[in-house]
Amino acid sequence: MTTLTVNSPWRTALARPAVWISTAAVLGALAFGLLLIALLGVPVVDAVEAFAEGAWGSPYAVAASLNRSLAFALVGLGFVLAQRANLTNVGGEGQIAIGGIVATAVALYGGVSGLPAGLGFVLPALAAALAGGLWGAIAGVLKAKVGTNEVISTLMLTFIAVWMVYGSVQSEQLLRQPVSNATTLPESLEIPDPTKVPLLTGDFSMPLHWGLPVGIVLAIAVAVVLNHTVLGLRLRAVGLNPVAARRAGMAMVSSVVGALFAAGALGGLAGAFMLQGEQYSLKTGFSSGYGFDGLVVGLLARGSVTGVVAGSLLFGFLRSGGINMEMSANVPTALVVVIQGLIIVTLAGAAHRMDKKETPR
Amino acid sequence: MTEEMAAVFVGSTLRLAAPLLLSATGELVSERAGVLNMSVEGMMLTGAFAGAVGSWATGSPGLGLLIGLVAVMPVALLQAWLSITLRANQIVTGIGINILALGATTLAYREIFGGRSRETIPGLEKWAPPFLGDIPVFGDAVFRQAWLLYVAVVVILAAAWVMRYTALGLAIHSAGVAPRALDKAGLSVNAVRYGAVLFCGFTSALAGCFLSIGDIHTFTEGMTSGAGYLAIAAVIFGNWKFGRTAGACLLFGAATALQFQLPAMGIEVPGALLIMLPYLLALLAVGGLVGRQTSPAALTQAYVR
Repeated sequence: MTTLTVNSPWRTALARPAVWISTAAVLGALAFGLLLIALLGVPVVDAVEAFAEGAWGSPYAVAASLNRSLAFALVGLGFVLAQRANLTNVGGEGQIAIGGIVATAVALYGGVSGLPAGLGFVLPALAAALAGGLWGAIAGVLKAKVGTNEVISTLMLTFIAVWMVYGSVQSEQLLRQPVSNATTLPESLEIPDPTKVPLLTGDFSMPLHWGLPVGIVLAIAVAVVLNHTVLGLRLRAVGLNPVAARRAGMAMVSSVVGALFAAGALGGLAGAFMLQGEQYSLKTGFSSGYGFDGLVVGLLARGSVTGVVAGSLLFGFLRSGGINMEMSANVPTALVVVIQGLIIVTLAGAAHRMDKKETPR
Repeated sequence: MTEEMAAVFVGSTLRLAAPLLLSATGELVSERAGVLNMSVEGMMLTGAFAGAVGSWATGSPGLGLLIGLVAVMPVALLQAWLSITLRANQIVTGIGINILALGATTLAYREIFGGRSRETIPGLEKWAPPFLGDIPVFGDAVFRQAWLLYVAVVVILAAAWVMRYTALGLAIHSAGVAPRALDKAGLSVNAVRYGAVLFCGFTSALAGCFLSIGDIHTFTEGMTSGAGYLAIAAVIFGNWKFGRTAGACLLFGAATALQFQLPAMGIEVPGALLIMLPYLLALLAVGGLVGRQTSPAALTQAYVR
């Protein structure tokens, strides 16, 4: 520590228990993962090499990891935004699913592929964000009007949406591709090229798309809104003391509905980017659990946008590396799931401690 | 619908509802005590896995069931310790434990069974109550079930009785409605809540074992596939009352059974619609469209003395 100067950002970071506790939890879980690999009888070096290869070993791997992180980050940002109003949005998975359905529908049958100036891919993505927002707003309206616990309603909405994906790719009247023979898979047609989100490099060896810069801009926007605007203050007031906020003339209903709409819209956009930037056709299980990963990222970020970015990068690279570990080193991907579970449980358990140590400052 | 089909339908409704009935009973007690235990899913999965492995390794499904029960206890203790003692967010810990259980059981399954995934696992024997089992057509199709189903009925009735008529039931209710009053009366809120979560672990383990060694006699990765969340939905739809919760479980079981039954009868109903029906009903219920919902006042709130 003596080598650090007084004002070093490292020192300030280390002085905050939240930062070092989180770091310790992540490192501890990773170390446990290595131990498990050794216990499985796989040479640890091979496994780590496979992990690194899959996570950041090639431009393709980096892009795949970042695209994953992008989806986690968008859902996480939505979570943090709603959390400011003391709302827990666990519906990210469903909002992604709705976004995917709507993006597919508009891209395939909305007549947008001939539109100029990039509208071909912008419109489906916007429609997906709108639909995700409305999906989230259902929970907001129920909360504001009937007092329904939003955890429960967003969770139920998630299951409904996930099965809607299944239903819509099973039926030709909906989004299933025309069935020509018995081997036609229950999935949608591939969306037309103009509706795909363009790649940053224009080269499939590094499939990073324009969603990434959009995500960065949105992260900054959410941070600014939360910390430097009247809107952010209003959300916080509504969250901390609804009665006082109402007395002070703040619109409760619109704050609650608005916060969940925004969270849902970010989830819907994540779904649009997953579909239009990577998968290109809608399949059962489209949302791939990304909404739950994003939820966890949001939870662990403890209200900070920086935390969301850090968490989504961590989980994005972790997932990619884990998949490759299974393919080339014979270590089940489930190992990464265990590591992730450990991180969540440890940080959740330590959350109270982190709060306690931070408040006296 | 012919008589045989009706009998098969009722029988499979009961079979599909049984794990939900069990886990929802535990969840109901836990929520009544103020702990929204999201980790039922993970507890069920752990129970299903440990029960299957135990039964396979010992050759005795009864021992398997016991091993399943024992294996879930650390999971339930972890949930209780995190959410009650450390006062961690109940939803986060629940989801974390579910992820952990999914990863751990999948990993262990691959390690233990690996290529031998077609291995048959000895399952619990079927049993039919005397007289009921002898009814023509219905007796066999409806009442001949894995004996664990009848244990489930006993557990549920016992839990409902305890909650309604005993001092313990009153203590559990107050832990979720007025924890401070319970504390002032000299009882430990946290002890009551620990007990409730452990009971939920017990019933979830039974539910998981029912899935693996009671119903299909094998284990598949992530085989609970949302049944735990469905149990939570049933409790909500049931307005935190035993009768309605059990009704909801049976309804959800029937919706699942219909999925297989309707195509057999030549009726085309989108499967997705039937699968999402339980969640939709639960959403309508919490949205106040099916009567008023009143959750325990202190649900999800950790108690600070």
